[in-house]
Amino acid sequence: MKSFSEYNPITVALWYAAVILPAMFILHPALTALSIVGSVLLHTVRTKSLRGNLIYFILFFAIALLNPFFYHNGVTILFFVNDNPITLEALLYGFTASAMIISVIYWFRSFSAMMTSDRLLYVFGSASPKLALILSMALRYVPLFSLQIKKVNDSQKALGLYREDNAIDALRGRVRVFSILVTWALENGVTTADSMTARGYGVGRRTYFSIYRFTRSDRILLAVTLILEGLLLAGAALDALKFSFYPAMTGTWSPMTAVSLAAYTALALLPTIHRVTEEFAWKRLLSRV
Amino acid sequence: METLVVEGLSFTYPACREKALDNVSFTLHNGDFMVVCGATGSGKSTLLRMLKRELAPFGEMSGRIMLGGRSVEDFSDREAAQKIGYVLQRPEQQIVTDRVWHELAFGLENLGLDTGVIRRRVAEMACYFDIEDWFERPVSELSGGQKQLLNLASVMVMQPELLLLDEPTAQLDPIAASDFISTLARLNRDLSLTVIIVEHRLDEVIPVSNKLLALEEGKLLTCGPTRESVDLLRSNLLLREAMPVPVRIAGELGADRDLPITVREGRRFTEEFCGNSIRSLPEPENVLDGEPEPALEFSEVYQRYSRELPDVLSGMNLTVNTGECLCILGGNGSGKSTALGAAAAINKIYSGAIKVFGKKLRDYRGQELYDGCLTMLPQDVQTMFLCNTVREELKDADLDAFPYDLTPLLDKHPYDLSGGQQQLVGLARVLSAKPRLLLLDEPTKGLDARARRLICEVLHKLQAGGMTLVVVTHDTELAAMLADRCAMLFRGEIVSCGTPRQFFSGNSFYTTPANRMTRGHFDGAVTAGDVVVLCRLNAAADRNRREGEYSC
Repeated sequence: MKSFSEYNPITVALWYAAVILPAMFILHPALTALSIVGSVLLHTVRTKSLRGNLIYFILFFAIALLNPFFYHNGVTILFFVNDNPITLEALLYGFTASAMIISVIYWFRSFSAMMTSDRLLYVFGSASPKLALILSMALRYVPLFSLQIKKVNDSQKALGLYREDNAIDALRGRVRVFSILVTWALENGVTTADSMTARGYGVGRRTYFSIYRFTRSDRILLAVTLILEGLLLAGAALDALKFSFYPAMTGTWSPMTAVSLAAYTALALLPTIHRVTEEFAWKRLLSRV
Repeated sequence: METLVVEGLSFTYPACREKALDNVSFTLHNGDFMVVCGATGSGKSTLLRMLKRELAPFGEMSGRIMLGGRSVEDFSDREAAQKIGYVLQRPEQQIVTDRVWHELAFGLENLGLDTGVIRRRVAEMACYFDIEDWFERPVSELSGGQKQLLNLASVMVMQPELLLLDEPTAQLDPIAASDFISTLARLNRDLSLTVIIVEHRLDEVIPVSNKLLALEEGKLLTCGPTRESVDLLRSNLLLREAMPVPVRIAGELGADRDLPITVREGRRFTEEFCGNSIRSLPEPENVLDGEPEPALEFSEVYQRYSRELPDVLSGMNLTVNTGECLCILGGNGSGKSTALGAAAAINKIYSGAIKVFGKKLRDYRGQELYDGCLTMLPQDVQTMFLCNTVREELKDADLDAFPYDLTPLLDKHPYDLSGGQQQLVGLARVLSAKPRLLLLDEPTKGLDARARRLICEVLHKLQAGGMTLVVVTHDTELAAMLADRCAMLFRGEIVSCGTPRQFFSGNSFYTTPANRMTRGHFDGAVTAGDVVVLCRLNAAADRNRREGEYSC
């Protein structure tokens, strides 16, 4: 059984782009609603818990309610606060904008969990193998350096050279640590360089290897994503997704609107549906054991 | 079939008068496992680097190197990179990329192979080296031993004909080192891979090798089957010092051929050499008189690095008396270095108390603790060096009081010194604060036998001058030679503590080779010196008895 995060990183990254970019750039209440439902569902299905959502819930209402209190445009007046009208249009605009922000946050929450450093690297690496190697080496050096900084810090402290009781001495201590680290890095970089030449770095054109394959299921997922995105963008291009809040809410409506929104529904719910059907299929298979 | 032929190889570094290598010739057959030994600066590493074209140092070279019947000069860059594999000393710095699988593929990517081939070779190698479990892990999470195995695997994945290793186990603890050597032996046996390894701790590697090459000042002393070479080298004191313990003991006792190279053979040798009417040496008298005054006390110390992680020290109790030398031994992750860091107030403890000279650590204000009271020599002495010359580095140090003459090194850059010299400079540097209590973390890691003896002598002299020493080490022989008392740390607690003789005779695995060799025959012989003395005493006793029988 293949979970959504096990697809080829490029497929997954393209799906995220297909779902996040419209949510950010097409301000349409229905589309935003679909985006927030899809992103929160994906997050909940993935983590299988409801914890850690409260802060976003509060944030959602805070952003949504801020707009009508500062912006008084709109024709449908609900009530007055300090002689300022609170309008239905401003309120709904607030909810739409807030939903957009929160949904993008939720999409990125699952994105960062699914796209670990090596998967992101693969996405960049397929663009340029050289860049991929540099990024990979950089990722390798971050933990190496932080460990070495700790070692140098400790040994300097035990020498009694590292006074932390006044700011100038503390700063001088930092400078000393940095200087030792630079010498160490240059000296040990020679070993890394030797190890690279010993394994034939620079003898010819490099290829780029990765453990990710582009399988049949990736092709299917990619095709589905592209078709759905195409329908949505066609709708946007044909002005089927126009919506304006002020002074009164008006939206275009055509069969194309329905098609575009249906396409985005399918797109936003794709991993969730995938997850649920996979789980059912897995349980059915297990029941045969 | 002859794989490697080296003929009349000489090499001179630029601006040097003496040759680093002088007319070295040898031949290796397919599947040979050759150990290269020699003192520091004898040209071992130069020889190894000459064999790997890409890493050959710049200088004047003459002679021929042939691999598989062709001169190495004629190889294309690609062939040269692929046919000769090279593993270096430092496990950490050889790794290039961030993930285990990517590191395995690195060499093959350089050769420009396509993904399908790389996938198969990487899978095959991961399987052979049993690294499937950590295949997708970031390299920063691996232990030192795992890192070095990864380095070996990522060279082997290129399918070299000749594998060169430059002190691959110097930075590893004994168990990881032994694992590494047995993996090498398996590669050699299963794949008939030709191996040349430079090492200065020879205990593990001599028994699995079939050839031994010894160098002295760039000249070839001997090159031949391991046992014959060992027999030939028995009279060379400098090289014998680095040999496995059984060879050293037998050589010292004047054996002239078939020297024992394993503990098993050493055992047979001692039993045949003499009887055991005198089973043990007298315990040395305790030189500390009067009520011992504690220099360092741990009482019920608990430490962990963060809330989620398990305890590293869990209820550790230990007392070190003023003027004594205590060695703390224990496996990886048993908390040895953490305990030392806690004593130096680098690692914070969350429960219990540590007292230094009767005063709690937290009662020391500011730099009071590090000023004339306690210092620590870190495991990696390079983390101390800041200046461009040893002279600047040691400007506060009292060089006359240091029991080793450092003057020849004063104008060098600290990074240009050998490992042993770096350790000595580091030691002189920490002594400039005139501590009464000195903490040392693995002072002999990566050092050759001579440097180890040197460090040992210096520490003895410091102790004689009244300093209290606490040494954390994996090196059982060092502990047996150096310590007044040894303590074993296991899962954050001291589980046993005693004089080296009591301590090592009580253990049956975690003990010195000399003790393993004579267990049951003698009691409490823990160093090679002990065994030699006992053997001589017993041989004399045997002779006296025999003469007594004749005269009757």
